[in-house]
Amino acid sequence: MLRAQELSKRYVLASGTVQALKPFSYDFSPAKVTAILGPSGSGKSTLLNLLAGLDSPSSGSILLDGNDLSQLNESARAELRLKYFGFVFQSFNLINILNAWQNVAFPMGLTGLKQEKRKARAFELLSHFGLGERLYHFPHKLSGGERQRVALARALANNPEVIFADEPTGNLDSKSGAMVLDALFELAAEGRTVIIVTHNLELAKRADEVIFLKDGELTNAPVELGQPAIP
Amino acid sequence: MIWQLASNSLWRRPIRTSLTALGIAVAVGSMVIFLSLGEGLRKAFASQIGSIGPDLQVSFGDFDASTSFTTLPEIPLHYLDDLQAQSSRFGITRVTPLLSHFRAGLSPGNSFVFQGLPASEDLANLFIDFQVDAGRSLRADDEGKGVAVIGAQVAKRSQLELGKQLRLSGDYSFEIVGIVSSSEGIVDNSIVVPLTSLQAALGIKDKLSFITLDLEEPARAAEIATQLKEVFPNLGFQTRSDVLGVLEQGVRITDVVRLGISTIALIVGAIAVANTMMMSVFERTREFGIVRAIGARPRFLFALVLSEALLLSFVGALAGVILGRLGMIAVNNIATNLIGLEVAALTPRLVLFAISVAFVMGLMSGLIPAFRAARITIATAMARE
Ligand SMILES: Nc1ncnc2c1ncn2[C@@H]1O[C@H](COP(=O)(O)OP(=O)(O)O)[C@@H](O)[C@H]1O
Ligand SMILES: [Mg+2]
Repeated sequence: MLRAQELSKRYVLASGTVQALKPFSYDFSPAKVTAILGPSGSGKSTLLNLLAGLDSPSSGSILLDGNDLSQLNESARAELRLKYFGFVFQSFNLINILNAWQNVAFPMGLTGLKQEKRKARAFELLSHFGLGERLYHFPHKLSGGERQRVALARALANNPEVIFADEPTGNLDSKSGAMVLDALFELAAEGRTVIIVTHNLELAKRADEVIFLKDGELTNAPVELGQPAIP
Repeated sequence: MIWQLASNSLWRRPIRTSLTALGIAVAVGSMVIFLSLGEGLRKAFASQIGSIGPDLQVSFGDFDASTSFTTLPEIPLHYLDDLQAQSSRFGITRVTPLLSHFRAGLSPGNSFVFQGLPASEDLANLFIDFQVDAGRSLRADDEGKGVAVIGAQVAKRSQLELGKQLRLSGDYSFEIVGIVSSSEGIVDNSIVVPLTSLQAALGIKDKLSFITLDLEEPARAAEIATQLKEVFPNLGFQTRSDVLGVLEQGVRITDVVRLGISTIALIVGAIAVANTMMMSVFERTREFGIVRAIGARPRFLFALVLSEALLLSFVGALAGVILGRLGMIAVNNIATNLIGLEVAALTPRLVLFAISVAFVMGLMSGLIPAFRAARITIATAMARE
């Protein structure tokens, strides 16, 4: 289980400091989709990056099954992300010098999995997401929806416990977006922790849990969502 | 996986990669050519001088690389008689005086080495496999006359034939009476004239360039040289290996110069690699952020960038060796025409050296970019567009 304890982030700039996230505590439930909502600049991405160990907190800690991520060094954190976390980003973030299956196989390669095995699993994952005909396509030859599905397949490469998605549908048309969201909900149904940062109120309504951020602070959700921010 | 990624990212910028590789190729190629000159000279000396030449060579004072190749004759003539007088005591079978003169011309085809030898000397005793290709050799009664036999290489190079006149200075010219050759190349590249004729032409009556000695027991040359030195403290006596040693010393002086030039070329090449890698790391900051986000450790990016630098250097070095080989063929063609020697040689140790230099170059120039790549912060790298 993923747990944030008094997590905060302060950016120190020449022009002054920005308190991007005020002390934040939350327990993320497995097998559930948790949506993080809030206006632009409210600290959603900052929170997600901290939870995923992509950035270090100014204070507080992130516990994954009781182990504190923020105490780990860069290498250990990378290994933890590799094995337990999967990522889906708004701008897809595929490696554009690798083709579809190579992108999916890449995280498996980092764990030392043999070439034939990772190729087979990459093919399997891509086919699962309807990309069986796009195995050898490079990212620039794929549509946005296809790219995001490659990203989903890559996120699942090492069978992670937690999936982080930062505005995964932000650059997609509604049909592709719906496809990606369905996939994410399916992953939660399989027992994974799925955390989605979004603008999308429809998604927020569908989510099992909703966190609403305003000015870097956890607040009550607007009434139209009808769900309390603090469980 | 790392090599695949490395070669993919080099291929992504084919023009930049090729230009950088070309830079390395030129640097390594010129190093190969420069260094191969030394290897070739060493080979040529070892095969040409090691097996032939007099048992002992006499110089005035010590013989070393800085003074030995001046053309000014320095040995007072009386030493010739003094050495003759001692010949039975030291087992000397032949004492040959030699006056040599280099006439520099504007082009190599106009430059000549004159060797003044006693006309009575049978050249077949001095040069291995000596043969007269056309005309005749020198005779005792040529002494004092303006006649010359020329080496086959000289004849070819300067387009000289029998009966032509070779002018040395104002009043003195030599008529070509013979064209000769031998297996070891020295005579091939010389113009042999009677000693007294050359003395008169140069106005040098009392000095010689060298005296050469043949011994009854050539194996004792070193020992006899030491004994002779006690009797003639002003002279220097060199065995064949001493001469080779001095030539080697001469080549070694040029080694320093050639290595210096090569090093500059290589440093320029290394800077090109470093620059390319630095640009590439900068451009790929976002991609590196992604790679780190999905679980690569910092050292993966370090290794990746270093691999790219090494790959680039290796490919460049390989092309450089080929380029160097082509350059050497050109250099050898020119040198064979000019002086009858293959001056450049591509030895395995030179190829090995070039490849290792490229390895070190890749390592050095990749290090700083690799550190930069390893130290990116993921969140800011991914925020870049
Ligand atoms: N690397 C950074 N340096 C300085 N300020 C930052 C950085 N990243 C985010 N911020 C600031 O922190 C606040 C929250 O940003 P972010 O988490 O990206 O918001 P959101 O994802 O909700 O739009 C903003 O005011 C933003 O300007
Ligand atoms: Mg954001």
